[in-house]
Amino acid sequence: MSSFALERDLATQGRVITALAKRALRVQLRRAQFLLPSFLLPLLLLAVVASGTSAAQQLPGFPNTGSYVGFVVSGTIMQGTLLAGLMAGIAIAGDIEGGFFDRLLSAPIHRVSIVLGRVLGTALIGMVQAILFVSVALLMGADFKGGVIGVVLTVLLAALSASAAAGLGATIALRTGSLSLMQNLFPFVFVLLFTAPAFFPRALLNPVLETISVVNPLSYVVEGMRAALFDSAALGSVWGGFAAGIGSVVFTCALAVWAMRSRLRS
Amino acid sequence: MSTRGLAYTGGVGFALWRRSLLELARVRGGLLPTTVAPLIFLLGSLGQFGRLDQLVGFPTTSYIAWLVPLSCLQAAGFAGGATGANLARDIEAGWFDRLLSSPAPRPLLILGPVMAAMTRCIVPVTVIFIAGLLLGPGLTGGAYGLLMLYLAAISFSIVAALWGITLALRAKSQQVGPLIQNGVFIAVFLSTAYTPLPFLKGWLAVAAPYNPVTYVLQMGRQATVSGIEPSWAHTWPGLLALAAMMLFFGLLALRQLRRIDL
Repeated sequence: MSSFALERDLATQGRVITALAKRALRVQLRRAQFLLPSFLLPLLLLAVVASGTSAAQQLPGFPNTGSYVGFVVSGTIMQGTLLAGLMAGIAIAGDIEGGFFDRLLSAPIHRVSIVLGRVLGTALIGMVQAILFVSVALLMGADFKGGVIGVVLTVLLAALSASAAAGLGATIALRTGSLSLMQNLFPFVFVLLFTAPAFFPRALLNPVLETISVVNPLSYVVEGMRAALFDSAALGSVWGGFAAGIGSVVFTCALAVWAMRSRLRS
Repeated sequence: MSTRGLAYTGGVGFALWRRSLLELARVRGGLLPTTVAPLIFLLGSLGQFGRLDQLVGFPTTSYIAWLVPLSCLQAAGFAGGATGANLARDIEAGWFDRLLSSPAPRPLLILGPVMAAMTRCIVPVTVIFIAGLLLGPGLTGGAYGLLMLYLAAISFSIVAALWGITLALRAKSQQVGPLIQNGVFIAVFLSTAYTPLPFLKGWLAVAAPYNPVTYVLQMGRQATVSGIEPSWAHTWPGLLALAAMMLFFGLLALRQLRRIDL
């Protein structure tokens, strides 16, 4: 392929990915059944956890971050992005059952673009979630020492987390093609969330969970958000968060592409 | 009502209850979502917030003892809510129209699903309770505490079923399912879900005492929380809250049922 043809192909695929991402965004933001779990539920849990477990700040070893809501908002962002990823999987399964996916397959576009379009759309939702949740935390009295740069880094980490979750959701949806199975996966999102130090520092987790959290890449992403928001290396590593986030995105998107190829073969 | 009328009413109620339960036998893993979700919340919350039992004044030295009744109530609520979602499916499929055109008394059409909710909640509640016991809290409240926990859970499943039925009759669509379950989720968590009233801060400290679920939880926690000893004082507020919720949502469901006739 000549360099001109390659450039033209890349531009076409870029437009396809953008168009599919826009569609994914529209579907998620228009339908209440998608909006409710990915926006309202995390906000509710933030409000409950911030008010219901704030006495935890009295525990020895709990980091002093000023307001408790500021500490737990990273967990809320993580929850939101995981649920957005699940919603992406549900939407793909819906497309498969509804026949839209077959129409996409018959179009002259790369298979990878179909996955990347959905992932990009979910990444944008993750960014919107992060901005919303951080704003709510600020209204509830949080004080982020990391300032605007810290918030920007957190929003980028949220995009990575949402992309990784969308990749995972897409993998399961493409492997199973079942809408009802995807809807039943809702509780399992919380396995990923609870095996990371989402609401408590890692040192104060249950010993079993503390051990598991070491192998959960989301642990490093959530701690990276905290480190960015509070500009504190004691709370985690921002770059460690980015490394874990990028690694997860590459891994889950590769899985999704593999799942799509398996689906096409069968 | 004559003896014959009573027998007829009982027969119809029993048939509708059996039909709701048959689904559990036919759909493999039908109880899984209502069991797995609260179990994951139980284990996850224990892992995340388990050290809260070290706070001075916390009513138990085992945080799981605090969480088990919460998860049981959550499971019962989800099981109750699921019957509402099933009713929405029956309405969409046209089955409910056939029931409406039958000579069966209207209130029986919601009595069947409510009875099914009471029955189907027993499995997840028992699974969670046994898992909780295996993890350590022990049955500090004895037989009375255990009875109160089951009474609270089964009664809460009725409340959730009536809430679900009301929404299903209003929306007439399966899309109402997440709203039913989210309602249960919100009701359970806007209470003393994670910590007792004195430890709550901010708006939740104001809202939780007005949430009837707070008192239902207290009633259930007599089973496992050593700081809440089994007594009538810890029981009657829960019973009152449950009766009020059943009356409120029962009237709403009946009102909605009358409207569907028009």
